[in-house]
Amino acid sequence: MNISNSFNISASALTAQRLRMDVVSSNIANAETTRGRYVDGKFEPYRRKMVVMQPYQEKSFANVLQSELGEPDVGRGVKITQIKEDQAPFKQVYNPTHPDADSNGYVSMPNVDVLKEMVDMISATRAYESNVTALNASKSMFMKALEIGK
Amino acid sequence: MKVGKIVNLLSGASFDRLQGAIDTSNLRQKVIANNIANADTPNFKRSDVSFESMLEQEMDRNSSSLIGNRTDSRHFYIGPNSGSMVSPQVTTDETTVYNNNLNNVDMDKEMSQLAQNQLKYNALIQQLNHDIKLKRIVLEGR
Repeated sequence: MNISNSFNISASALTAQRLRMDVVSSNIANAETTRGRYVDGKFEPYRRKMVVMQPYQEKSFANVLQSELGEPDVGRGVKITQIKEDQAPFKQVYNPTHPDADSNGYVSMPNVDVLKEMVDMISATRAYESNVTALNASKSMFMKALEIGK
Repeated sequence: MKVGKIVNLLSGASFDRLQGAIDTSNLRQKVIANNIANADTPNFKRSDVSFESMLEQEMDRNSSSLIGNRTDSRHFYIGPNSGSMVSPQVTTDETTVYNNNLNNVDMDKEMSQLAQNQLKYNALIQQLNHDIKLKRIVLEGR
């Protein structure tokens, strides 16, 4: 039965959006982290992380078989291929009493913009919701198909 | 009643067409689910399933074809019947851009199509069940 394929498509998107949510959480949690990584004997602040999404490319045996049988090729969902770091410069904040302040009294703060993260978070939530709707639609169709011939 | 006729009961033109329509609806569900899944993917282009318009075309083409003249109602019928089966096609819309990241998935449109497809699927199943029920009445004779 190949309706399970549409379950897999929606499920892959749910996984991807949840991971995106995890990344947003990490960014917000570390919005003030000045010691994100130890590089060349000194601390570097946390860098904002972003997800890279791509349509799912890999073919399973069933996919190959289906396309060989001449069935139209639909997509196979979405996948997060990598988590990239934002290369934007760090924010410089004047705070001479901070333990990580440089000789001029400036502290490098993470390049996380909480506003941006909030927007990303809402976007991920809405995308998650719409995929749940699609999944429920597939499910109710599947349930309806079980009624054939009753 | 011959056995052949009983077998014919379940393989009529309308039955096959219903099956084709249900398969198409199934395929469309997959395509829409994939579009929604990739709503935030850069450079992704949405796909669509075309079937109804093609079937209509095919049926129009058939209706204009030759129809045998019958001088008696018991004569064989010659002319368009079920037509050749049209198979659904998946097309990708490469020409439009909806978003800054060159993605062209319009979420509102996808969600409404999802709802529409679901209703259509349910209607088709209902129709199929109705057909089966009618045939059951014929078979049982009550």
